[in-house]
Amino acid sequence: MQPELERELIRKCRAGDTRFYEPLVRAYEPAGLRLAVAMMGNTEDARDALQDAFVKAHEALHRFDLRKPFGPWFFQILRNQCRDKLRSRRARFKMEALDERLELRPDDLERGPERIRQRSAARELLWQALEHIGNEHREILVLKELQGFRYAEIAQILEIPEGTVASRLYHARHALKQALVGMGAEYP
Amino acid sequence: MPQSISPEDLMRFIDGELPPSEHARVEAALASDTELNREVAIYRGMKGDFQELSFDPGTVSRSVWDTVNVTLTRPVGWFLVIVGVAIWTGYGAYLFTFSTIDPFEKLATGGVVIGILILLASIIWERYREWLTDPYRDVYR
Repeated sequence: MQPELERELIRKCRAGDTRFYEPLVRAYEPAGLRLAVAMMGNTEDARDALQDAFVKAHEALHRFDLRKPFGPWFFQILRNQCRDKLRSRRARFKMEALDERLELRPDDLERGPERIRQRSAARELLWQALEHIGNEHREILVLKELQGFRYAEIAQILEIPEGTVASRLYHARHALKQALVGMGAEYP
Repeated sequence: MPQSISPEDLMRFIDGELPPSEHARVEAALASDTELNREVAIYRGMKGDFQELSFDPGTVSRSVWDTVNVTLTRPVGWFLVIVGVAIWTGYGAYLFTFSTIDPFEKLATGGVVIGILILLASIIWERYREWLTDPYRDVYR
């Protein structure tokens, strides 16, 4: 979404017209859901967290700095919402939302069913390994690897100094590697 | 890992966040250190595996907007209902109090209304106390 359009929508929302919040919700929903699913581990809890995050963001719009992009600010709220839910006894990280339908890639077609099976197995293993690492490790990996955020954006979302992002990523990747190796993954 | 390349620099290198001026230093270290090379290959492999993760498109296509919209607009509805009821009740009480009805009738009607309100409040209070101590209150699925 264009930053100027985004700012205009937020201004109108602040003026009290909730209809203008819909384009923002629809624009940030797919990425928000990916983040929430990866943090919560299942779709149901993720959708709950996402809904609550959108409501909280709307309530806090008057505090939002219009000079900054909406995305990182919203993902910060969503991340906190996911953490709160994980801390509460209502939800815990439990996996069930992985799509069983793999998208075919050109090299899959060339290499045949064995390649598809390998990809599926690697994906399943990674998804399971994510359950074995801490919430803090998981959230930074999700932000980097699934959402593709830059270090500066991750720093804003996680409310940590930018210099700490690389360090946290190292520990998270190391923990994930240990989990994967423990589960029998083979790396070069 | 060699002393010259910190884990943080390695992460920045893998993620394309290392300043160009630092690239040559990491590349040189990679050329001479097989262990470092292996580590980079592992982390890049893991990055690749993440690209394989996808979620059910059906999940994404069902928007949360309807629920969000209801949650945002419902308090406005409640506010208007409460304010409306309060105004009508106050107006009704004013008319009733200053009307020319027999004081005995006023007293009886007032007693009925106040009694109903007390009963209603006690039921609400009782339900609230039960809810506070209900061990299954968070179980809703």
